[in-house]
Amino acid sequence: MLELHVWGPAFGLPSLDAHCLAAIAYLQQAVPRGKWQLIASCNPALSPTNELPALKNGDIWIGGFRNIFHYLAQCSAGEWVLDAGLPEQEGADCIAFSSFVEANGQPLIDLSLYVSTQNYTTTTRPLYSALLPLPLPYLTPPSIRATAKSRTAHLGLSALDIDSDDSSPPPSQSIIPESLRRPRNTVSSLLSASPEASAQIRLDALGTNFFEPLEKLRGRKQFFVSESQFSSLDCLVLGYLSLMLVPELPQPWLAQCMKKKFPSLCKWTEELRKTVYGPEVTIHDAFLTKLGDSELDLRLKRLRGRGHLPWKAPDNGGAIGVGSVFLSGVADGIPVVGQLRRNTRMRQHGGLTTEDGVESSSFQYLAVIASVVAGLGAVAGYMFHQGLISFGEREESKESVSDNGGLGAFGEAGAALGFYASQMDEQVRRQRVMEEMNETTHVPVVEVDVELEKQGP
Amino acid sequence: MPPKQPVEKKAADEQSSFSRSTRNVRDFFSIPTPVKHLFGLVPVVTYPPNQLPLRAPKPARIPSLYVFTKDQDAMAGRPSFNPSCLKWQTFLNIAGVDHRLISSNNHSSPTGSLPFLLPAVYGSNTSQDSLTPIASNKFIKYATEHGGKVEESSSMRYEAYQSLLDHRIRNAWLYTLYLEPLNFSAVAYPLYVSLTSSNPLVRASISHQLRAAAEAELLKHTSIIDTDDLYSEADKAFEALSILLGEDSWFFGNDKPALFDASVFAYTQLLLDDELGWKEKKLCRALRSRANLVQHRERLLVRYFGDHE
Repeated sequence: MLELHVWGPAFGLPSLDAHCLAAIAYLQQAVPRGKWQLIASCNPALSPTNELPALKNGDIWIGGFRNIFHYLAQCSAGEWVLDAGLPEQEGADCIAFSSFVEANGQPLIDLSLYVSTQNYTTTTRPLYSALLPLPLPYLTPPSIRATAKSRTAHLGLSALDIDSDDSSPPPSQSIIPESLRRPRNTVSSLLSASPEASAQIRLDALGTNFFEPLEKLRGRKQFFVSESQFSSLDCLVLGYLSLMLVPELPQPWLAQCMKKKFPSLCKWTEELRKTVYGPEVTIHDAFLTKLGDSELDLRLKRLRGRGHLPWKAPDNGGAIGVGSVFLSGVADGIPVVGQLRRNTRMRQHGGLTTEDGVESSSFQYLAVIASVVAGLGAVAGYMFHQGLISFGEREESKESVSDNGGLGAFGEAGAALGFYASQMDEQVRRQRVMEEMNETTHVPVVEVDVELEKQGP
Repeated sequence: MPPKQPVEKKAADEQSSFSRSTRNVRDFFSIPTPVKHLFGLVPVVTYPPNQLPLRAPKPARIPSLYVFTKDQDAMAGRPSFNPSCLKWQTFLNIAGVDHRLISSNNHSSPTGSLPFLLPAVYGSNTSQDSLTPIASNKFIKYATEHGGKVEESSSMRYEAYQSLLDHRIRNAWLYTLYLEPLNFSAVAYPLYVSLTSSNPLVRASISHQLRAAAEAELLKHTSIIDTDDLYSEADKAFEALSILLGEDSWFFGNDKPALFDASVFAYTQLLLDDELGWKEKKLCRALRSRANLVQHRERLLVRYFGDHE
């Protein structure tokens, strides 16, 4: 029995991740019913590539949807393959457009579901909270969001992320009255007030660049590369498009762009989604926790319709399993430790040669030692600054500094200046004495400043 | 007026103390008389401006393309060893824009990455505008403005196959060049590290930076670097490109090469170039088994990098 572990259901779709949706569609179409089960998981660390979807067959774990496709072809001796028998040109298109969808679709999903603060806080984060056992919602969604931000950084649309808006400075700090201040341009105000605003234009352009080649490729065909054959490209496109079209978000720019300009893609997605993923999926379907349903109801539900997915209740290992996931998440978040963990993971997986291991690890240990030293230094400095540690001489030196006037604080240069200053004081004092003498004796003293300048002949 | 006097005196005192302090400040900053005399005796000579160093770029009659390359290769106009530089170098050759190559590195570029083009200086017309460097994303515009012949295909497949090059093949390239230890020491180290500095510390730091940057770039899209997946995807990408090219001379059935041919050539040339000395040849083998891509590279090499072989 094959077990497909995916991120749990959302928006009425069986998963909230595009690759998981693609893998579900692939298994649904390629593998006979009854040979596989679907499990809503929360632990990507189970898979060797540290990502979901992951396929489990006995003791073998396969991570990543492309590896799953390959593995299915292998373990069924070429029977469970969707792309088999595609003509050469269509096969090439399948490869090329898969890469295109992945490269250009992922940033759009990232922007829409994760980077846009409003969508993230009101929709995506609550979804994860409903799916994951308790301590995990504090770690998993923020880390996914951070990756999404780094992936979309090159698009220059970080304005969508308006987290900073919440921490706007208190009004008392500014002397500009409330009525004269310009309102901050948030994405919501840009999008709602003026649809022609630059963010909207860029987002629309990104969306169009993604949808247009796809629509052209499909043309009037039933599927993307072939008239009759459901290919792996269709799985991938279905995963991405349904995640763009179906969710109802506070900032629905992506779905709007798709509905307005590409109605035929929308129609295709809606139809295929119903046949592949079945009717709306809820969290209760996935976790098999129907409240108030009798045993009979459950059995009826399972028997109903071919579109229904073969869900199996997840076993996340109880409190210990969740705790270990949480701890490993925390460890990944710590700067140096996280880096080391990632490196070991990679070495285990990639099987790098020992030569490289030695070279890079010596550099890394050096970096670790340096950072530990730096960290200790920072702590010591902080304690010193806070006065938790103090040296005996400090008070004395302080006094001597105050003796010498402000200039003493400047070290040797200050001493020199101080000397100069005292000399000037001396001069002034002498002058004052002279002035007083003048007052008393009434003898006019004229100071003549004679300046000699050598004139040219 | 006896009662008034102390007040006045006090005011005068304050005034004088104030003027004293201002005078102190002025005295402090004014030049002392003897020094002034001394300065008066010494004539002020203004030297003519220094000559620019010999290696400083001279305004040229033809535009200069700054790429990653060795000095002697730049003189001979040989292909650059960096894919994105080679892509645009080939593009300019195809478009017929005459240019000279200058060996450089990322630090010299206004955008932080090579290549960039410094336009030619025509006569005495050295206005600021004509000397602004041109970043690689404006090369097509520059080429059309300067009499280049560029024909771009508008096939719906263009974007998709371009994404094969920009993601699948590029990722495999990054891995095989920087993260395969054998290739890094044999290929990347002499080209990117040894050329830059002779100081072992600087070299260690640069090579670490290069590898870390490549790793970070790959980890953006997956949580782990899956070597087998990278190579098999690159293999499939070459397969798809080979099918796309088919029996044609140039991609998309054009009768002349265009930008897409240059982008493909940027990788095929470097992977098939024996002089680079690849040690781990997985990616090279994947490419070599596609005969039409190999011939495509030969055609471009002979046509635009003429007397090289």
